[in-house]
Amino acid sequence: MLKVDQIDVFHGDLQALWGVSLEVGKGELVCLIGANGAGKTTIVESISCLLPPAAGNIWFNGERLNDKPAHKAVQAGICLIPEDKGIFRGMRVLENLELGAFNPDSRRLRYDTFKFVYELFPLLESRKNQIAGSLSGGEQQMVAIGRALMGRPKLLMCDEPSLGLAPIVVKNIFAVIKQICQSGVGILLVEQNVRAALKLAQRGYVIENGRVAGHGDARDLLNDEKVGSAYLGTT
Amino acid sequence: MITQLVAQTVVNGINVGALYGLAAVGLSLTFGVMKILNIAHGEFLMVGGYLAFWLLTLRGIDPFVSVPLVAVAVFLLGMICYRFLFAGIARFEEETKVKNSLLVGFGLFLIVPQIARLLWTADVRSITPKYSGESFPLLNVRIAYVPLGGLLIAVVVILALHLLLTKTYFGKSVRGTSENWKAAKLMGINVDRTYLFTFAIGTGLAGVSGVLVGLTQALTPDIGMEWTLKALIVVVLAGIGSVGGAFFAGIILGVVEAAGAIFMGPYAVALGLVIFLLILMLRPQGLFGNE
Repeated sequence: MLKVDQIDVFHGDLQALWGVSLEVGKGELVCLIGANGAGKTTIVESISCLLPPAAGNIWFNGERLNDKPAHKAVQAGICLIPEDKGIFRGMRVLENLELGAFNPDSRRLRYDTFKFVYELFPLLESRKNQIAGSLSGGEQQMVAIGRALMGRPKLLMCDEPSLGLAPIVVKNIFAVIKQICQSGVGILLVEQNVRAALKLAQRGYVIENGRVAGHGDARDLLNDEKVGSAYLGTT
Repeated sequence: MITQLVAQTVVNGINVGALYGLAAVGLSLTFGVMKILNIAHGEFLMVGGYLAFWLLTLRGIDPFVSVPLVAVAVFLLGMICYRFLFAGIARFEEETKVKNSLLVGFGLFLIVPQIARLLWTADVRSITPKYSGESFPLLNVRIAYVPLGGLLIAVVVILALHLLLTKTYFGKSVRGTSENWKAAKLMGINVDRTYLFTFAIGTGLAGVSGVLVGLTQALTPDIGMEWTLKALIVVVLAGIGSVGGAFFAGIILGVVEAAGAIFMGPYAVALGLVIFLLILMLRPQGLFGNE
């Protein structure tokens, strides 16, 4: 479904990615792991067309996304939940969800999607008239995920969904991500919590200094000595 | 006698204040959504006034009828200006964006009055339909028809804008872009297009205010900056991003100036600047702004 082929990406004059390739299939849960500043966020931002690659290609269901504006990526079915969650803090929860279904195709289906999202997060329905900025961190993450689902994505990318949340909330969020994946949505998960991410995912890519340093089955990576010593704190 | 004076002052203040509010709402919208300070806002207002003047003197179209025509014309003018002058700036990061938009705005401020002088001469004009100057008594206050009509138009326009921003998908996308443009992009909102329409709506609102200004006050090619500054005072007073707030702040400024005029005569204009400074020192987020 998603095929990233040898992309180089720059932040201004600084090169952030060198020849990164990766793939995500339909209904597959793939995680990107790596240290801070390795380029994980840059990868997901180029896939959602916020940062066009200088070289290489990004293919999504046969469509070349390289230089498209960001809203075209959304129309193609790609949704990114950014690291800061990107909540419209001064707007109501309901308005946040509505904006999630902004593109015409998902807007037509929004009433059905509302039901689905409210079933997944009953709390959002009871809080729908509250100002989103007044919610707790975990609730805001629910708004972010719910809003992303309103766009009926085929590929959902989550950048550090566990950041700053209590462990119990993280567990819930991960369970929901798994559930979304089982409904046929491809998921690309960026996560600092490497062990949890690898337990959840089917496959993983290790990113080091803007390059793919290794990839494979999540279970193999979890038992890999190099990955273990670098990211899991085992020796 | 005293109550009559007070009531008449308040009525006059509200009439002028509604214009301040309407002029400020457009400026507030563009600044809030795009972080561009359009110094040339008053120039669009001036052009709007002259367009209504033309429509009345050349075609005999009543200024209240020409309000929507002028709004559309200045809206389109704003679109063109944005497309060719401001669109390139919108891509920069915030600080550069504000600085460069000031430069472009000052450029327009230098050029547009000259064009206006060529088209309409430097004479002082005003839009005077047959019924201007007529009024009716209400209790012991005299209410003039023209400012009353202006007030009604201002209220209707502000309400329409409020509904547009809160009830429609387009309006919500404008507010979303204003809050967090990056997240708006990730929602599939075409941010460039939102900017274009927001800027044009801002100038369109300036055009409408221009018609009302022409109806009640003098119209010269040089009134632009004066109105930009008035609008800026009101925006600071109200705080960014509140449509209703900007309107009320406009009325507050109008009433304060009208009251001040009794005691201070022509120096009452300075009251606006005093309010400006006090608000910046004591409540920088404005009366109705959040955070």
